Amino acid sequence: MDHFRADTFLPLTPVAFEVLLALADQSRHGYSILLEVEARSGGTVTLHAGTLYRALARLVEQNLIEEMDAPVGPGHDDERRRYYGITPRGVAVARAEIARLEGQLASARSRRRLQEGAA
Amino acid sequence: MSLGSWIANRLFGIALLAYPRAFRRHFGDEMRDDFRRRAGSGRNTPGAFAALVRDGLRERATAVARWTLWPNHQPHLYEPSGRHAMSWDSIRADVRYTLRQAVQAPLYTLLAVSALALGIGANSAIFTVVQGVLLKPLPYQHPDQLVTVWSHNTAENKPENPISPANFADLRDQARSFAALEGYFSFVSNTQIVLDGPPEIAVTSFVSPGLFELLGRTAMLGRAIQPGDGAGITVISHGYWQRRFGSDPSVVGRQVTADGAPATIVGVMPPEFVFPYMGMVGPTGFTRTMDVDAWTTMMMTGPRMVDQSGRFIRNVHYLAAVGRLQPGISVEQARAGLAAAASRLEQAYPDTNKGWTTTVTALHEQVVGEVRPALLVLTGGVALILLMACVNVANLVLARGVSRQKELAIRATLGATRGRLMQQALTESLLLALTGGLLGLLVVRWGVQALIALAPANLPRVQEVAPDGTVFLVTLCVALATGTLVGIVPALFATRADLRPALQESSRGSVGSRSRHHMRAALVVTELALAVVLSVGAGLLLRSFATVMTLDPGFRPENLLTLQMSIPYTLTTPDARRAYYAQWFERLEGIPGVVAVGGTTRIPLGSTSVTTSVQVQGQDVPTSDLPEVEFRRAMHDYFEAMGIPIRRGRNFTTEDGPTSPPTVIVNEAMARRVFGQENPIGQHIRTGPNPSGPWSTVVGVIGDIRHSGLEAPPAAEMYVNYLQNPPVAPFIALRTDGDPAAVAERVRVAAAAFDSTLAIYDIRTMQQIRSAAVAERRFLLLLIGAFGVLALVLAAVGVYGVMALVVSERTQEMGVRLALGAPPSTVLSMIVRQAATLAAVGVTVGVAVATALTPLMASQLYGVQALDPITFAGVAALLVAIATLAALVPARRAMRVDPLRALRCD
Repeated sequence: MDHFRADTFLPLTPVAFEVLLALADQSRHGYSILLEVEARSGGTVTLHAGTLYRALARLVEQNLIEEMDAPVGPGHDDERRRYYGITPRGVAVARAEIARLEGQLASARSRRRLQEGAA
Repeated sequence: MSLGSWIANRLFGIALLAYPRAFRRHFGDEMRDDFRRRAGSGRNTPGAFAALVRDGLRERATAVARWTLWPNHQPHLYEPSGRHAMSWDSIRADVRYTLRQAVQAPLYTLLAVSALALGIGANSAIFTVVQGVLLKPLPYQHPDQLVTVWSHNTAENKPENPISPANFADLRDQARSFAALEGYFSFVSNTQIVLDGPPEIAVTSFVSPGLFELLGRTAMLGRAIQPGDGAGITVISHGYWQRRFGSDPSVVGRQVTADGAPATIVGVMPPEFVFPYMGMVGPTGFTRTMDVDAWTTMMMTGPRMVDQSGRFIRNVHYLAAVGRLQPGISVEQARAGLAAAASRLEQAYPDTNKGWTTTVTALHEQVVGEVRPALLVLTGGVALILLMACVNVANLVLARGVSRQKELAIRATLGATRGRLMQQALTESLLLALTGGLLGLLVVRWGVQALIALAPANLPRVQEVAPDGTVFLVTLCVALATGTLVGIVPALFATRADLRPALQESSRGSVGSRSRHHMRAALVVTELALAVVLSVGAGLLLRSFATVMTLDPGFRPENLLTLQMSIPYTLTTPDARRAYYAQWFERLEGIPGVVAVGGTTRIPLGSTSVTTSVQVQGQDVPTSDLPEVEFRRAMHDYFEAMGIPIRRGRNFTTEDGPTSPPTVIVNEAMARRVFGQENPIGQHIRTGPNPSGPWSTVVGVIGDIRHSGLEAPPAAEMYVNYLQNPPVAPFIALRTDGDPAAVAERVRVAAAAFDSTLAIYDIRTMQQIRSAAVAERRFLLLLIGAFGVLALVLAAVGVYGVMALVVSERTQEMGVRLALGAPPSTVLSMIVRQAATLAAVGVTVGVAVATALTPLMASQLYGVQALDPITFAGVAALLVAIATLAALVPARRAMRVDPLRALRCD
């Protein structure tokens, strides 16, 4: 942790970023992440199972998310599943990625020709 | 569950197999569950399956990469503990440890590394030669499309006969499968060049103007000869340009006189350009050197090509041809096409072409085909040497394993896994082998230089031999393979045994010594067997060489000096030449030390030969069936100077002058061939199918001479007296009463004093020529012989090593035996008997292997069978003797064991 620097993880792959977003508010299991990502994108993004679980494996190894016990309560019905939650490092990296994207976005908005409706 | 979903689930299960097992264990159930839940959503498409498999394979690649290329101590899915059996850290530690061990046991390290350096280096050096000679493409454009074309004289069984101009022109017209077919004189000529002083000799190849275009080579300076060029257009070689013109670029465009005619130098070829190679010239010709100085246009309309009526000559053969095949045409197709054309010519011109067809050979095969077997024998020999080096080093490693048993046991007890110990052992042997390989590169550098220096001058392409990147790569690969080979057996062995008892043993313990002993015995048996194979090969080559050296060449080669000369071009008439030669021979006879002087048009072992058909008066034989014999002119006291015996009849005398009736002398082979049982003396013969030619009388029969090589049986040949048509570039033979080399300088001085425009060159003693004639055989013998001796030494060291170990391990037992009153000699005989048993097994295995292998080198043997019993028996006896002797040293030590000390030492 001593040497942790969030920017060394940037840029995140789109899948990794989606996973961090999905886990930002609550811990979820794999299938739940899958549904969340697809719902959030309005069904335009299809996450393949292999892609998702590979991303989960890497994020765990990088200590950006962690496996945790199934939370008790409605909606957390399946105890056979592994639940994942974001770690403080994950939060830091997600923030760094957001900042990076915002920077890009701001830069893009300042380019008139790239604005919608521009000639 | 519907059938469809059942199938889909199965398929999903199969697709999951693409993932590494650890991944499947961790995520498989959930992935399967997700898949089921999604069954109704329409997302489980074939594309999804493909993506699943693709991701799985990617994960596998990731896992492998993380495991092998960049392992670290981070815990991850595949190594949750973060502890890797193999990691850079552990490899670094192993390397450090190995280096420390190497410094602590310098003798062991030195022995192992130098054995491997020699083995690997020798292999790479031979490979360098094999690559340069056999593997590298010839220095022409798309050389795989190039072939040589010869006339095949089926009646005389001469498949590589030159082609006559008329046949060449006809074949060229009909060669549909060829993109181009170009010709050159099937020999190289000594051309007299006048630059600024007296005439000089330039070795010249006459080529048809399209040849360079066919080869796809251009000049380095100026231009090459090109289609449309007329007579006298000359291109010179890089070597000649440097040597004679001091690399002066203004040589391009220079006018010179070549053989009395004007010529223009239009270009200089690059240094690596060679044409023709030795294998590409025919059996006829005048000169014995092959380093071509210049190429000059050969005109198809020249005087040598057409007869008096202006038609191409069909019955004299002196062209060689090289062709470029059409793309996609195989050599076989081209061969069939030309054979068909040749049979059409056979029908059209039965007088000259009956029994003549064509031979088409891939150019690469033509150039190097003859030396391939010898080089392959060498490659095999040197590979065996490397194998022996490996066995020796494995033996060393094993021997050291004994002293390191405890260390291994401690490490194993402290938790080192078997894989970890193997890694350590392999690191050590790989490090040894890589160091050996690195030093081996030095061996390659010097070895290749030595090989080139030793190589016979007629080894084709030897000038193209040089170590390059490929050699480096091969050396690296050989080193890696060697390291693995050397390390794997002892590594497996060292880590197989249950090592714990070693900890309890005293330091002289012999735990596991039985199987270790067996292993060492097996290695020694292997070594002995390899030594048998190599020594048998060397022995067979030695016997062949001895046989060849005792062959009677048909003349006395000692005290004989030879040279070639070209008389001035101003001597155009036979009378002028006769007068010139008369004075010249008189001058040579006056040189102190010269006993007899003679000359000929083609000297034995040092030049080529030309043949003619002969007709015997009174024998009615069809033209196409006339016997072919070699044809030479004898000058002055040629037979006396050469020491060629006259068997019957008489020598040429002064009576056989230019105006007297023509006479010939034949050799015994020709007498048998042409006259059978009849007395040849007094018979009349004439050369060629020449109905109007004069008859010559046979006046003498000489002994047979081996002209084309010591190993080739003597051919039928005839001599005419030179006075009837004096040659322009004869060989001179001088019989001396002392060292012929000492006379050479006097001859040079005499020639300069006699005529400053007389060119004499190629002065060599007959012993030098004879030595060159066996150069390839000697080269092979020298190397395989060296390998054989090395193998014997290695085998002796191996036997000594294993017997010394036996003695040291059984010291106690010997002490008991001696203490109980056994005479020391029984101890000695026990050890020696054990060594002899090893030797017997090794020799038996070796003889069996050699029996299978030596027939492969049959082409390199002369006068001895590949399974020669004397050689086999001799080598077997030698090896048993060597093994026994090697065992005597430790056996004597065993005999002198002090019983008290031996018993006390535990």
